[in-house]
Amino acid sequence: MGDVILTMKDIDKSFPGVHALDHVNFEVRRGEVHALMGENGAGKSTLMKVLTGIYQKDSGTITYKGQEVAFHNTREAQDNGIVIVHQELNMVGDLTVAQNIFIGREPKKGIRVDDKKMIEDSKKLFKDLNIEIDPREKMSNLTVGKQQMCEIAKAISHKAEVIIFDEPSAALTEKEIADLFVIIRDLREKNLGIVYISHRMDEIKVITDRVTVMRDGGYVGTLITKDSTKEDIINMMVGRVIYEDPKEHSMVAPDAPVVLRVENLNAGKMVQDVSFELRKGEILGFSGLMGAGRTETARALFGADPKQSGKISIMDKQSGQLKEVTINSPQDAVKYGIGYLSEDRRRYGVVVQKSVNENTTLATMEQFTSGIFINKAKEKEVSEKYIKELATKTPNGDQLVVNLSGGNQQKVVIAKWLTRDSDILIFDEPTRGIDVGAKNEIYKLMSKLAAEGKSIIMISSEMTEILRMSDRIIVMCEGKVTGNIDISEATQEHIMDKATRNIN
Amino acid sequence: MEKLKQNPIVKKLGLNRILLVCILILMFVVFKVVLGSKFPVGDSIKSTLNYVYFLGFLSLGVTFVIATGGIDFSIGPVMFCCALVSGYCMTSYKVPCAAAMVICVLIGLAFGIFNGWLVSYLSVPPFIVSMASMNIAKGIASVFTKTQSVSWPLASDPTNGWFRNIVSYKGFPVGLVIFLGAAIICGIILYNTKPGRYILCLGSNTEAVRLSGVDTKKWNMLSYVICGVLVGIGALFFVATYTTVQPGYGDQYNNEAIAGCVMGGTSMVGGLASIGGTVIGVFIISLLQQGIMAFGLGKGQQMIITGIIVIVAVYADVSARRRKN
Repeated sequence: MGDVILTMKDIDKSFPGVHALDHVNFEVRRGEVHALMGENGAGKSTLMKVLTGIYQKDSGTITYKGQEVAFHNTREAQDNGIVIVHQELNMVGDLTVAQNIFIGREPKKGIRVDDKKMIEDSKKLFKDLNIEIDPREKMSNLTVGKQQMCEIAKAISHKAEVIIFDEPSAALTEKEIADLFVIIRDLREKNLGIVYISHRMDEIKVITDRVTVMRDGGYVGTLITKDSTKEDIINMMVGRVIYEDPKEHSMVAPDAPVVLRVENLNAGKMVQDVSFELRKGEILGFSGLMGAGRTETARALFGADPKQSGKISIMDKQSGQLKEVTINSPQDAVKYGIGYLSEDRRRYGVVVQKSVNENTTLATMEQFTSGIFINKAKEKEVSEKYIKELATKTPNGDQLVVNLSGGNQQKVVIAKWLTRDSDILIFDEPTRGIDVGAKNEIYKLMSKLAAEGKSIIMISSEMTEILRMSDRIIVMCEGKVTGNIDISEATQEHIMDKATRNIN
Repeated sequence: MEKLKQNPIVKKLGLNRILLVCILILMFVVFKVVLGSKFPVGDSIKSTLNYVYFLGFLSLGVTFVIATGGIDFSIGPVMFCCALVSGYCMTSYKVPCAAAMVICVLIGLAFGIFNGWLVSYLSVPPFIVSMASMNIAKGIASVFTKTQSVSWPLASDPTNGWFRNIVSYKGFPVGLVIFLGAAIICGIILYNTKPGRYILCLGSNTEAVRLSGVDTKKWNMLSYVICGVLVGIGALFFVATYTTVQPGYGDQYNNEAIAGCVMGGTSMVGGLASIGGTVIGVFIISLLQQGIMAFGLGKGQQMIITGIIVIVAVYADVSARRRKN
């Protein structure tokens, strides 16, 4: 580790009604990877936004390269060498890699863009980073991992001295994460200061030198990574130890009936001849790499996207027999008792500009209406019952969902399907972007639901999550089912082997 | 300012609406002071109200459409089409007045269904649909009436004069009561019923509502249907106050109705609508028209001013949202 390049001292920031940052301290040295950790809503992003000029601090000082600074926008921060690599990639899919890297500052030859120079410069950037990407390739043709590499190359091209990675691994496969770490280590060698924001404890241990933990907008402390354990860090974040061992055997009764049978489902390129069964009280994990067709399978099953063929049978509540059903729209699916919790909650799960109450009753309006009129008292009563039951953190049911954290938004979506009494719940990446503490609550909730006889399909890219929650695991690869493994036989290696089965 | 916002009375009424009422009163005072006798209080109020009636129904209607995140530029010409076709039925085909009134509303309904179906079920962008149906409405009216203006019966008409009672009865402003009543019903529909809830929610996030198992197409279409019916009713109030309608016009009322709606706090991106705000907005726009006329300015200036108001109101909404995020 070199000398200190950036110091944030006593940073204080309030929004109306929220004390977002309470005298926070943070420093970055040259040649270190410094993790910034904390639950969602702990203030990590706010702190980084203050640093890069998106927000203005109320008090405190930022010292960068020995001088006190206050940036007014990201452009200013960028020009001074502080760059964020965002979680959601900011790339234009239809442009080439080189065009994306030099967007807004294209090298000119007269009034024309000097394509040749742009491509040469990009090549040089990639060479320095040991990345193999053709700058002439269209951005949308690259994998998420490769796109992120481009984002990093772009940051470097700004002559960055401090790079902030905001949950860079959220959408990457294990292999891509390994590649990312090679690059980050390389940047560390080059004496850059690196801030690494992530929820994944394993990564923190592998890649970072120091860890600063925040909680509820306050500064908790800074640890040297190699001298501290996972439990130390987690305890600082939430103040309690978390149990993360894998499940050893299936919790489903051996005679539990099949509630859903999918046979030869075909929907576009991503879903080919998918067949599986879901039993009562089972948590069926769907594992696979990014783009294996798991979400597409779920959406086709739910009627959200059209399908070409396939037979879906669902247990009839009265007779207890499997019956073939036609699902052409989410309305059909909901009618047959299926609920879908999307991986992208803000886009597909909640109506963020509406209240918790309004979101809770969205799928069950008819239970809360007499004629066409809404019984708001009843709506409030039921919604508040679920707020209590699921321990949703919100001042009251009238709060707009946009003001809740990711984990609590997820609980609102769960409440929505519970009011419907759906028997089959599809959880698509149930804990993506959710902090450790809330994650655990979601896990407990899923286990409880399964124990009560609900059947759950859980799509997850996190191996620990799959191994911890599932009773059985379906592995998909390139649109096909390549594995169907009981939890007692499942290992990480076994699953990875199946998940890469079709790939040469 | 923050303190004022937290005041329970202000919170209940909405700071926006209080400000709008203040603007309305201020405008009236300014007009009176500047124009003096050219702006007689009684007559001005009366002519403002006359303008409010028909424009108010257009504005209420378009509020539903804008709440879904859509837009309807056909409301003005459709209103004229309603009045022209039904009026022509009465004057040339001897259809009784009461029946003509029903036809008038039904034509509005038909346009609502047509627009809503195209937007919701065929996914044609609302902007294009309403631009096209604006021309269709003008065309139908011209063809049907053979490009002649149509006059609805005068109050003195012994058999059909009664229909003007919808505006005023022996000096009592019946129109105001009907308009405010309609606004209250619209408010109840939007905030207290299932269709209203779905309209607002899908305006905010259509995909999330669809994935909750809601038939979003149906409810999206409904907003256009409601709008169509209200435009049909607006047409009745137009002819009951101004008697004569000419084919080929009506465009200017699009802007005025949308201005009233957006000024009242309904967001152009959908999901957020204020019926109370729309009502006040309509009063402001209507008073403004009277003021402009009293100043001796013409239609041209009127259009410039309303155009500017639309831009300012939408800009205010957009920048308020940006600050929030």
